[in-house]
Amino acid sequence: MSAHPQFAEALALYAMGSLDDPQELAALEAHLGTCGDCRRELEALRADTALLALSATGPQPPARSRERLLKAVAAEPRVERRNPERYALGRLRRRWVTFAPVMVMVMLAVFSILLWRELRNTRRELRHTQAQMEQIQADLARTNTELAEAKMVRDLLHAPDAWPLTLVSRKTPPQPQIKTVYSKQQGSLLLMASNLTPLPENKIYQLWLLPADGSAPMPAGWFKPDGKGNGMMFHKMSAGVIAKGFALTVEDAGGSQTPTMPIVMEPAG
Amino acid sequence: MRVSGTQAPKHKDDAALVARIRAGDQSAMADLYDRYAGVVYGVALRVLASTAAAEDVVQEIFLQLWRNPQAFDADRGRLAPWLAVIARNRAIDFLRKRPPEDDINEMPISTGANLEDAASQKLVVDKVRGVLSGLPQDQRKVLEMAFFEGMTHTEIAGKTGDPLGTVKTRIRSGLLALRKVLA
Repeated sequence: MSAHPQFAEALALYAMGSLDDPQELAALEAHLGTCGDCRRELEALRADTALLALSATGPQPPARSRERLLKAVAAEPRVERRNPERYALGRLRRRWVTFAPVMVMVMLAVFSILLWRELRNTRRELRHTQAQMEQIQADLARTNTELAEAKMVRDLLHAPDAWPLTLVSRKTPPQPQIKTVYSKQQGSLLLMASNLTPLPENKIYQLWLLPADGSAPMPAGWFKPDGKGNGMMFHKMSAGVIAKGFALTVEDAGGSQTPTMPIVMEPAG
Repeated sequence: MRVSGTQAPKHKDDAALVARIRAGDQSAMADLYDRYAGVVYGVALRVLASTAAAEDVVQEIFLQLWRNPQAFDADRGRLAPWLAVIARNRAIDFLRKRPPEDDINEMPISTGANLEDAASQKLVVDKVRGVLSGLPQDQRKVLEMAFFEGMTHTEIAGKTGDPLGTVKTRIRSGLLALRKVLA
C-alpha cells in the first residue's frame, strides 16, 4: 500500500461510513481530492467491506419474495417507457450538473457579445446625437447673433436721439447716396448705401465719425457695395461719442485707422 | 490477484445480465434474483434482524436496478460485492431511520473474487468467515459493530470503553485481514 500512513486508519473508518469526527472527516476528504494513492486504497478498503458483507450471506429469502419482485417488474415496465418524463428528468439533471459550468460559460459569452454590441450601438448613437447637438448649438448661436443685431437695429431706429443723415456725392450725377442712423448712447450706427462707385478688388469704403470736439476722425466701420453700388452696414463702437458728422473714404481692404484722403462722401448741406 | 479500480476486467456474466436488464428483458430480473437475492437478503437480515424488513430491502434494491440499470458499471466491478455493500448501506439507513435515497449507489466495488455462481460465492464466503473467526473476539466485535450496526468509531468506543485509537486500529487491521482472503 502506498497510501499515506497518517490517513490509513481514517480511510478504513471512512470506507465504512464510521468516521464521525468532523475535522478528521474534512481533512481526509480534502486529502482524497488530491491523492490518487489514497483514493485507490479507499476503493480497496470498500472491496474489503464487501467481503465482510458477503460473510452474512446464506439465508435465502422466502419464495414469495421472488414472486413479489417479478410481479412488480412485470407491473412496472421500464421507467423510460412507462414514465419517460421521470427518466428523462433524471438524465437531464445529471447532464445538467455535468454541463452546467459549460452552459454558464456559453451563456456568459453570448451575453457579453450582446452587451458589447449594445454598447457599440449606444456609443454610435451617442456620437451622432452629440454631432446633432453641436449643430443645433451652432445654429442657435448664429440665430441669437442675428436676433441681437436685428434688435440693435430696431433700438437704433427707435432711439430718441436717432439722427438720420443723408450723404451725397460731391459730384452730382450719378448721385450715390448713403443714409446713416447713429445713436451716441448705444454707440450704434446703421449705414445704407446706394449707387456708389464700384471699387477695385482690394479697396473698400470706410466710414469715419467726426467727433464734435474736433478730435481726429474715428473709424466707424467699413463695407464693400455689391455690383450695383448698394451696401448696408451695422457698426458698434464706444458709446457716448458726440458726432458732428460722418465722412466716407476709400481705403485698402481690411480698413484703416486714419482716413486716406480724399473724402468721397460727407453729410449733405 | 487483486484487481481494483478501472483496471478491473469486464465480467462477462454480470455484463450480459445487466445488458439484458438494460434491454428491458424481464426474465433477466429472474436470473438476477436467483443469482444474488441471497447476497442482498443475507446482508439485510444480518443488519435488520427482521425477515420482513430484509425482504423489503431486497425488493427495493432489485427494483431500483430494474429502473436504473446504468447505476451498475460492469467495467468497474462485479455485481455481488456491489449489491452486498448497497444492501448493507440501505439496511443501515433503514435501521437509523434515514430517508432512503432516490437512486442506488453508483460506487464501484472491485474485488478479484469470483462470485458469479453459488459455488464460487460459497467458497469465498467460507474463506471470509474463516478469517473472521480467526480474529480476536474484541476485534471481530468492533468490526461487526461498525459494519453491521452502522456505529461510528466514537459510538463504539463509548460502548466498549476502548480508546478511540484502539477502535480505529482494530477496524483497519480487521479489514486488511479480510483482504488476505484473496491474496
